[in-house]
Amino acid sequence: MRRSLSILVIFIAIFVVLPGILAVVGGGYWFRVTTTIGVFAILTMSANLVSGTTGLMTLGHAGFYGIGAYTAALLATGLHWPFYLTLPVAGAVTACFGILLALPTMRLIGIYFAVATLGLGEIIHLTLLNWVGFTRGPMGISAIPGIALDGLFAASDMGNYYAVAITAALTAFVLGRLAHSYYGNALRAVREDDQCAASMGLNVVRLKIQSFAFACFFAGVAGALWAHTTGYISPGDFRFSESILILAMIVVGGLGSLPGAIVGAVILLGLPEVLRPIGDYRMIVVGAVMFLSILFLPRGLLGETSVLSLMRRQFGLAWDNAKQLGWRQ
Amino acid sequence: MFDIFFVQQLVNGLSVGFIYALMAIGFTLIFGVLNVVNFAHGEVYMIGAYAGWLSITIFAPPLFVVILVALAIGALAGFGLERIAFKPFRRFRDEASLKSKAMREATLLSSLAISIIVRELAEKIFGSNMQTIPQDYLLLTPIQIGPLSFASGQFLIFGLSIVMLGGLQWLLKRTQVGLSIRAVANNPMGATYVGINTERTIIATFVIGSTLGAAAGLVVGLYQGAIFPAMGFAPGIKAFVAMVMGGLSSIGGAVVCAIILGVAESVTTSFFAQGWGDLVAYVFLVMTLIFFPTGLFGGGRDRV
Amino acid sequence: MTTPLLDIRNATRRFGGLLAVDDFSGVVQRGERVGLIGPNGAGKTTVFNLITGFFPLTSGNILFDDTDISQMKSFQVARLGIARTFQNLRVMPNLTVFDNVSIGALGAIGHSPAKALFNHRKYAEDISRRTWETLERAGLQDEAGELAANLSYGKRKYLEIARALALSPRLLILDEPAAGLNDTETAQLSDFVRKLSNEGLTLLLVEHDMAFVMNLCERVMVMASGRKIADGTPQQVSSDPVVLEAYLGSEEEAA
Repeated sequence: MRRSLSILVIFIAIFVVLPGILAVVGGGYWFRVTTTIGVFAILTMSANLVSGTTGLMTLGHAGFYGIGAYTAALLATGLHWPFYLTLPVAGAVTACFGILLALPTMRLIGIYFAVATLGLGEIIHLTLLNWVGFTRGPMGISAIPGIALDGLFAASDMGNYYAVAITAALTAFVLGRLAHSYYGNALRAVREDDQCAASMGLNVVRLKIQSFAFACFFAGVAGALWAHTTGYISPGDFRFSESILILAMIVVGGLGSLPGAIVGAVILLGLPEVLRPIGDYRMIVVGAVMFLSILFLPRGLLGETSVLSLMRRQFGLAWDNAKQLGWRQ
Repeated sequence: MFDIFFVQQLVNGLSVGFIYALMAIGFTLIFGVLNVVNFAHGEVYMIGAYAGWLSITIFAPPLFVVILVALAIGALAGFGLERIAFKPFRRFRDEASLKSKAMREATLLSSLAISIIVRELAEKIFGSNMQTIPQDYLLLTPIQIGPLSFASGQFLIFGLSIVMLGGLQWLLKRTQVGLSIRAVANNPMGATYVGINTERTIIATFVIGSTLGAAAGLVVGLYQGAIFPAMGFAPGIKAFVAMVMGGLSSIGGAVVCAIILGVAESVTTSFFAQGWGDLVAYVFLVMTLIFFPTGLFGGGRDRV
Repeated sequence: MTTPLLDIRNATRRFGGLLAVDDFSGVVQRGERVGLIGPNGAGKTTVFNLITGFFPLTSGNILFDDTDISQMKSFQVARLGIARTFQNLRVMPNLTVFDNVSIGALGAIGHSPAKALFNHRKYAEDISRRTWETLERAGLQDEAGELAANLSYGKRKYLEIARALALSPRLLILDEPAAGLNDTETAQLSDFVRKLSNEGLTLLLVEHDMAFVMNLCERVMVMASGRKIADGTPQQVSSDPVVLEAYLGSEEEAA
């Protein structure tokens, strides 16, 4: 009952109320802002799985986001694939790249993994920038077909919104099921104490690779969405600063907290928009919010432990001490 | 036998390498002592360059005064940085916090946040374009030795890195401050027990490291004629790569690797397009982490 | 006569120039309670780490139920049925007691994203049932929803044992279970461990509290400087002159 009600409320908010408001306010601009937030919500949720839940700080997420975007853009412009094919394929390609690139770095701990991913992210960015023959280099790829189906609907702001909203909801569902289930406990055990997790029979390396692969898959999907909804991508969209932005969003929302990741994306993209009348202080706001959040809310706005139990109560089936039921999904 | 063009590239690479080395010295000092990555080191470098540039445009003093100004501002920046981005996060000492990812990486994130804020503020104040530097101060007086051409700045960079490296060794090995820095680097807890003021030592480390960084920023700014808010990012990353390659806490190792890195980049750009040169550092970084987890010169810490 | 559950044959481990474990051999029979004692630095924990695959043997091998486990990784050893606790408690403070114990259950049942995504109901039920059973066994069911960080030291000991029990091990290795406990708590723990043993679990433990070992264990192995110097019933061992010398000798060195 509680579960169905919560799901219904969220569905109405995302698929009826929000697009309704946007349509009434009537602005391509606010649609643009909302879809950007949606794409970044997918990115933060995916990065949160690997950085928050599994505890592998990644500083190169934008690179994988870029691989997804370029895969989709090249498939759509070169081979004229429609979006419903490019989205999953971009995700799969990115996941493969992620596994391939991250495999040798998986044994690194803490800060060294972070730095290795920083290196990987920059390698990807520089490759996109310099491999002019394949990626068209700094000129970027333009005229990427939008979210449209022949005979059903044409590309529009509303279509973009729904594409992003549905994908984000699916992402939240899949990642929520992974992170809030017992499988998520295995990932958290790897984060808390990998040696101890191994002596409890957990295959630590495999868990790390799996979570990284899932994170890369959804980063790729987000990239594909970005390519299709904006119609133009260039390497500048996938720089180190975007990785930092993603990290800042996770930190503000709370490492390891899925709803926190979404809230972080909303705050760090929404706040600069709200403050726009004062001037363009986007990155300063990002830095300041990140700093203040680490200082005063080191566990983030929605900390992992409390959110975990709340989400499990809200969307799980049972936690009953008397009947001795654990978390059921 | 040797293509003169190639040798010239080597010389240029060497001076680029020394630039990275200048940066890496301060970076490695801070990491070696505190085991924290200071992402804002590149911004200290930028602040040093801007401090020098401001003093040039306002007072036009002799060069060594400009350097002194940069050193002083660098020291101040280091002190402020430690107080703002690092000090507040030493309060989390309970068990749950120590084991919590968010808190373990807190200083990494806070220094990252501070570096963003400082860089963006500099852009707001000075604009994101390069500053024009009066001709007299540019360190580009050509010096011809045989078929090779050098710029005066290259000699200054060579000289400065040797002086800085020597001075740092002297400081670490021969002074009271150096002794406490080495003690804290070895074992912070033990250092506290034998009565070393850890707080003061940490501040001293930041001040020294940042002074070196600021000096590097100024000299490189004057040599390359490029002073702009984002100037610290690329050398910061390169310095980091050098530190990782050098085995993390070894300053000498970091310097050697910085020079290798500079030469490798310069040689790469002579074979490929300019853009691919930047890739070298990152490839080196990832390769080192994968194949030499303790750094090329060993003696590193556990990172696997 | 059946084969022993654990059979360590000439296990040797060298750290650089230091011979931490030197040609150690010993067996643990099914259902036995075996203690491993010795002065500080004798290499007891290293033996545990060798058994549980934390680092490889320099030479020798270890058989568990006739399977050679000397080359296995920790998680493989754990899945075969060897669970352990740690000398300095390693509970995960940011997880609840329930979630802590569920990690042991995960190790036994297996973790796969596919199960979490497509067969989630059955998967969750299996793990949660096993976790509750274990919590009950360790008497922790009332604290199930607490964060492990809020637990008292004594309770954490039980939590660590519970997490290991959730693996349904055949051999339970305890590293200094009584350290830091007062006399009452030690007695309770001793009873608890004895109860586990009576339910058929094989035990191997390192402990400094001699009364605890002598009272609980059926057989004691004594180590000094990486070598096994005695093996027998508590009575035999405690009257063995070699053992007395090792302990007294080490005390003289310490003094």
